[in-house]
Amino acid sequence: MPIDLETLGREAKTALESAQNLKELDNIFHAYLGRKGKLTAVLRSLGTLTKEERTQIGKEANETKEMLAKIFEQRKNDLLREENRRSEEKEWIDVTAPGKKLTRGHLHPLTLIQRKAVEIFQDMGFAVVEGPEIESEWYNFDALNIPKNHPARDMWDTFWLNPKFLLRTHTSPVQIRYMEKHNPPFRIVAPGRIFRYEATDARHEINFYQLEGLMVGKDISAANFKAILETFYQRIFQAPTKIRLRPSYFPFTEPSFEVDMQCILCRGGGCSSCGQAGWMEMMGAGMVHPNVFKAVRYNPGEWQGFAFGMGLDRLAMMKFGIPDIRLFYGGDLRLLQQF
Amino acid sequence: MLYSYNWLQEYIGKKLPKPEKLAELLSLHAFEIEEVKKQGSDWIFDIAVLPNRAHDCAGHQGMAREIAVLTGLPLALPKRSTIKTQKSTLGPMKVTIQAKSFVPRYSALVIEGVHPKQSPKWLKERLEAAGVNSINSIVDITNFVMLETGQPLHAFDYDSIRGKTMTVRQAKEKEKLETLDNITFSLPQGALVIEDKEGLIDLVGIKGGKISGITSATKNIVLQAATFDPTIIYKTKKQLHYTTQAADIYAAGIDSERTTEALERAWTLLKQVGNGKVAQIIDIYPAKIRPATIFLNSQLVEKILGVAVPQEEMKRILKGLGFEIKQTSQKRGVWQIQVPSRRMDVSMPEDLVEEIGRIHGYNAIPSKFPVLSLQPHERSASFVWRERIRDLMKEAGFTEIYTYSFLGEKDKKRFGYQDKETKKIIELENPLSEEVAYLRTNLLPNLLKQIAVNQKRYRVINIFELGTVYAKEKESFQEKKELSGISIGKSFYEMKGIVDFLCESMGITDVWYDNYQQTPELAPSALWHSKKSVEIKIGDEEIGFVGEIAKSILSNLKIDYPVAAFSLDEERISKFAQENIAYQLPSRFPASVRDIAVLVPFQTKVVDIMNMIEGTAGEIIQDVDLFDMYEGPELPAEKKNFAFHIVYQASDRTLTAEEIDAIHNKIIKNLEQNPDWEVRK
Repeated sequence: MPIDLETLGREAKTALESAQNLKELDNIFHAYLGRKGKLTAVLRSLGTLTKEERTQIGKEANETKEMLAKIFEQRKNDLLREENRRSEEKEWIDVTAPGKKLTRGHLHPLTLIQRKAVEIFQDMGFAVVEGPEIESEWYNFDALNIPKNHPARDMWDTFWLNPKFLLRTHTSPVQIRYMEKHNPPFRIVAPGRIFRYEATDARHEINFYQLEGLMVGKDISAANFKAILETFYQRIFQAPTKIRLRPSYFPFTEPSFEVDMQCILCRGGGCSSCGQAGWMEMMGAGMVHPNVFKAVRYNPGEWQGFAFGMGLDRLAMMKFGIPDIRLFYGGDLRLLQQF
Repeated sequence: MLYSYNWLQEYIGKKLPKPEKLAELLSLHAFEIEEVKKQGSDWIFDIAVLPNRAHDCAGHQGMAREIAVLTGLPLALPKRSTIKTQKSTLGPMKVTIQAKSFVPRYSALVIEGVHPKQSPKWLKERLEAAGVNSINSIVDITNFVMLETGQPLHAFDYDSIRGKTMTVRQAKEKEKLETLDNITFSLPQGALVIEDKEGLIDLVGIKGGKISGITSATKNIVLQAATFDPTIIYKTKKQLHYTTQAADIYAAGIDSERTTEALERAWTLLKQVGNGKVAQIIDIYPAKIRPATIFLNSQLVEKILGVAVPQEEMKRILKGLGFEIKQTSQKRGVWQIQVPSRRMDVSMPEDLVEEIGRIHGYNAIPSKFPVLSLQPHERSASFVWRERIRDLMKEAGFTEIYTYSFLGEKDKKRFGYQDKETKKIIELENPLSEEVAYLRTNLLPNLLKQIAVNQKRYRVINIFELGTVYAKEKESFQEKKELSGISIGKSFYEMKGIVDFLCESMGITDVWYDNYQQTPELAPSALWHSKKSVEIKIGDEEIGFVGEIAKSILSNLKIDYPVAAFSLDEERISKFAQENIAYQLPSRFPASVRDIAVLVPFQTKVVDIMNMIEGTAGEIIQDVDLFDMYEGPELPAEKKNFAFHIVYQASDRTLTAEEIDAIHNKIIKNLEQNPDWEVRK
C-alpha cells in the first residue's frame, strides 16, 4: 500500500486548523496522532518496510508528526484564548462601582508635623532628646535666668502642682537637663507637650506642643541660626521662603529674636493669610544667655550658640489649614481621618 | 502700653516718619507693635514693652529716645524748672523710711496753695490718648509725668496726713487699707505701706489710700517720686491680684537717678496750671547708685551675630542710646563703656551686642551654615520605638487621638476611682476650672469620652493615644508614657490580638496573660469588666491590661455599645523590644496537619489545653492553632467545644504517618485523663 504521507499531512493540517473547539481539536489530533491514529499507524508499520524505505518514510513521517504537533499547539493556544475570552464576556461587572473600603489607620496631624520637623533637623545633624512634663521651678524658670518675683515670669502663665513643681510652660528646661549631662559642641531638638494656664480660644490651648532647639559651639552665630531655620521652613512648607529676625526679650537668650517667616502664599507681597504683612510670626529664639551657661557650669567665655522654641500646633495649623488649635485635642474623627 | 504719635512728636526736633513707617521701624529694631490706630488727629501705638525695657521705655520720652536713634532725628526733651523752696506757713512733713532696704530713694515736695481744677484741654487729650481718665489737674499732672518720663508720681493731700508724719514700712499681719478706687484690701504681710500718725494712708507703689487722696477741696499736697524694691511690689500685686500701671513699672524696676527730674517736670507743669509754692523738699537717697561699666570687645559683635558692623556705626548707636564710650584701646579693640542708669537691662557685653545688632538691623545678618564635624548624633531609642508603635497601631487600622492631660472633678466618680486610687491623682494648685483640675493617671477616661462623642457618627471606632500619664507616689510626682487602644466593634479577643500583634511586631516573644489576682496599675480597677479583662505580662513584669470596659462605666458615659480596650506601659514594653531579625530557615520536610476537637466545661481555659498538647508532643509540633471555639444548643449544657489544627513538622526528616499517629494518640490520651474533657472523634 503506497503511503501518501504528503496527502495525509496536508489533510491533517487542514483538519487541525479548522477545528472549532478544543474537543474537536483533540479528536482530530487523536485521529492522526493518537494510539490508533493514522500517522501513528504509519510509524508503527515502519518495521515491516525495507531498510531503505524505512529510512526515507520514517524521516518523512517524523517530520510530519512534528509539524502536526506544532500546529496542534498553535491551534490549541488560539482556541484556549478564544474560549477564555468568551467566558470572560459572561463575567461583566460594573467597573465604575466603588472599590471595597479598607480600614485604614491614621496618625494625628501633630504626630505628622513633629515627625517632619524632627526629620529635617536630624538631616542637619540634630539629635532628638526629651524631658519630663512635670518640672521643677528650677528647670522651668530659675536655671533659665527667669528669677522668682520678676515680671518676666508673667510671660509664662503656669499650672502649679505645689510651690516647687509645675507643668512645664515650655520645652526650654530640656536645654538645661541636656547641658547638665553633655559637653559642647552639640545640636539638639526636643519636642514635647507643654502647658499654659490661660483661657482657651482658636489660638490658645492649655496644653500644646513645642519643639525646642539648641546648638552650642565655639562660634555658632545668629547667621548660622538664620541659615538653619530658613532651610527648615523651606523644607517644611516645600516652598522658597526667608526668615526675618526682630528684637524680642526672653530672659534665657541675649540677644533675643522674634522670628518671622516670609509668607509662603504671597512671598512677602501681603495677602489675607498673613494679614497683609507679608510675614508670619513663627517663634521666639535667641543667642543663649551667658547666665544659662553658668547655670550648667559651662564657661560662657568659651561657648556660644542659639536656642529656639517653635509651636508645633501653629506649624500644623499653617501646614494643613486647620483654623482652630482646639481641634487637635477634640478627637473629632472627621478631622483625624483626613490624615 | 499706649503711646501717642503726636505726643512722641513733641520730643523729636524734626518731623517724625509717617505712622506706619514709624511702626515698622520700631517693630524691626525695638518692640513688637500690637496695633496702630487712628484717633482724631492722632495715631495711637500699642507697643509691647517687655519687662526688660520697662525701666527706660515705659514713658514717651524713653520711646522718643529710641526713635531718635532709629531715625537719626534730634531728641528734644522739654525744659524743667529747678525747684527752690519758698517761705511757707506749712509745718514740715516728717518722712521716715523704716523699710530701708526696700526704698532706695524717696523724693517728695510739699507744695502749698494748689487748686485742683479741670485740666487744660491739651493735658486731657494727652491722657486720653494714653488711655488714662482725667480726674483733676493735680492727679492728671502726676499721671502725665509718669507717662512722659516713666517715673510714677503720687500726690497726697497734705492736710489729711495726721501728725504730719509719714512712715514707710512693711505691713503687719491682717492690716487693712482702703485705696482711692474704694477697694478695701486685706494686706499681705510684708507689703510696703505708708502710715501717718494714726493709720495706713498708702499702698506703696501700687495705689494711694483713700484717706489721703486729692479732692476738690485739697489745698496743699505732698508730691512723691520714689523708687521701691521691684520684688516686693511684684509680690504684693500678685498676692492682691491687683495692679496699676505704676505697679507694673515698679515691679519691673526703675533706677533712682530720675526722681528729681520727674518732680521738676511736675513742678513746671503745676506752675503752668495754677499757683502754689514749694514749702519743703524731701530727698532720702542713702546710697547713690553708680553707673555700671562694661568692657566690650568690639569683635564680639561679629562673633555672636555673624555680621561685621563698622566701628563708627557701633559708636554712633551706643552714643545715641546714651552709652558713654569712656576709653577705646584700638589695639585690642576693647571699649570701656558706661551704661546710663536707666538702662538697668544692660549689664554685660552680650547686652551691648544686642543693642548694636538691633539698631544696626538684624536684616544685615546673612544666612550662613556652620562648618562642623560629621560625627553623627546620638540616637534616642525610646523616641524611635514610640514612633514605631504609632506606626504599628496605624497598621492595625487605628486612628490616633490626642486628648487633654487633665481630668475633671466629676471624672473621679464617673470612671470609678476608689479612695486608694484617688490618692494617686495629682491635683493642680491653680486649676482653670473644675473640668481640668487634675492630671490623668491613665489614658482611658479621656479616650472613653471621645468614644461617647463619636459613637453618634460612627458604628465602628478604633482609636488610640500614646501620651503621658501622671501619678503621685508618696510625696513625689511620677510620669510615664502609656499606649491605649480603644474600640467599638472589636471583641475582647480581637483586642487581645492587637496586643499580640504589637508585641510580635516589636520582637517580643514571651508576652502572656495572667488572670490571677490581676490589678491594673494606674487605671481604676472598676474601669474594667470584671470577667472580660486580663493583665498583660512579659516575663514577671506587668506591662498592661486588656479587656472590655465595665458596664457600669459605659452606662455612666451613655455609651450604647460594648467597648474593648487595652493599655500598655510604653516604657516597659519598649524596654523588651528587639530590633534585630534573624532569618529562620523553613523546614525542607513536609508538614502534616491533624485536627482535634475537645468538648470541655464552659469555664475551661484554652491555654490549659494548649499547654497539655504542646507539652505532650514536644519539638515536632510546629504550631497549635485554635480555629474554633463554639458553644451552642447542639452541645450539652454548660459545655463548649474547642477545635485545633495541630501542625506536625520536623526540621531534620519527613515524619512518617506512624510517628504522627503515635503522638496524636498520646495527646488524645493525655487530654482524656481529665474526666471533664472529652475528645470528640
